[in-house]
Amino acid sequence: MNPTFVLRANERGHDVISSDGPTSSYVAGHPGAFITRESSFNFHQYQAGRPGFGPIRVFGDETFHGAGCGYNMHPHHNFVICAFVLEGELTHINTAGEGTVDRLRQGDYYVFSAGSGGKHCELSISPEDMNAIYLWVLPSQLYLPPSYHRGHFDLRTRRNQIIQLVGDADGALPFPQDLRVSRLVTDRKGAFAYAPRSAEHGLYLFVVDGTLTCGDATLGRRDSLGASGVKTLEFEAADATDVFIVETAIIDDDRVRAWEKEQAEAS
Amino acid sequence: MSEPLKRWICLGCGFSYDEALGLPEHGVAPGTRWADLPEDWVCPDCGTPKAQFEMVVIGYAPGGPQLAQTA
Repeated sequence: MNPTFVLRANERGHDVISSDGPTSSYVAGHPGAFITRESSFNFHQYQAGRPGFGPIRVFGDETFHGAGCGYNMHPHHNFVICAFVLEGELTHINTAGEGTVDRLRQGDYYVFSAGSGGKHCELSISPEDMNAIYLWVLPSQLYLPPSYHRGHFDLRTRRNQIIQLVGDADGALPFPQDLRVSRLVTDRKGAFAYAPRSAEHGLYLFVVDGTLTCGDATLGRRDSLGASGVKTLEFEAADATDVFIVETAIIDDDRVRAWEKEQAEAS
Repeated sequence: MSEPLKRWICLGCGFSYDEALGLPEHGVAPGTRWADLPEDWVCPDCGTPKAQFEMVVIGYAPGGPQLAQTA
């Protein structure tokens, strides 16, 4: 089974957001700090491209550069926002519930459902740069009570198996949408299969590191693929490969169809 | 027959605009159509331009409409 689309690392939207000048109220850490953001999907005013995947609007690979870098306190509604920390440390101050100050390191992740309204501030306060994968997802209902959950993926003990981090599996963080995020880290070559709940569920696979082969497609570091209408997606992962697997209901793809038509007409 | 009232969501922050509810606290009367908001209207929470909102078909959680009207 071949992927429906392949998105290469260098085809993603690329932005550098400065802590100086017009974005200084948004980005913390002046002077010297800046955020780099590689966006798989169309993100707000920052890039064109595929307008999301099912209810996913943002799949961002972001790095906070310089001590003190991050996003100043800002509001959200409705969106369900996740961050999966790959490197460095993320200090996360969040108003959901009674309010939380959380520090997330490699393997840690959070799910923040902004619902009826919440604010958060995200900072890298150590000298090391912070790299995380961000997801923004439309919720199943508007104005849910805001919530914050955090989890940890143990890279040392959970190798060579697909582990669900977010969704409805035992131990996964709850998520107010028909969506599951899993992660696979290998220390040997292997063949894997992922069966979505139904053929109406789409899969988005993002290679953090290593090599993944799926049908005719070979993906390297930060390449990704989408697949829809499949009963089971089979793939091979090389030694030392790290992959995120996102499964979600393809709710409404009118915008995606319109975008794909534009692309076909332009080429 | 008139078009059903619609809901729009800000892709910058998730703020929602519901045509049925309007935003009375921001001077927008209930029933105001998206098309009738000025083109230079921006998200009251994050300043994202009107063009960066997406129409959504998502229902409210219990109590949601009351909260949305005063957001």
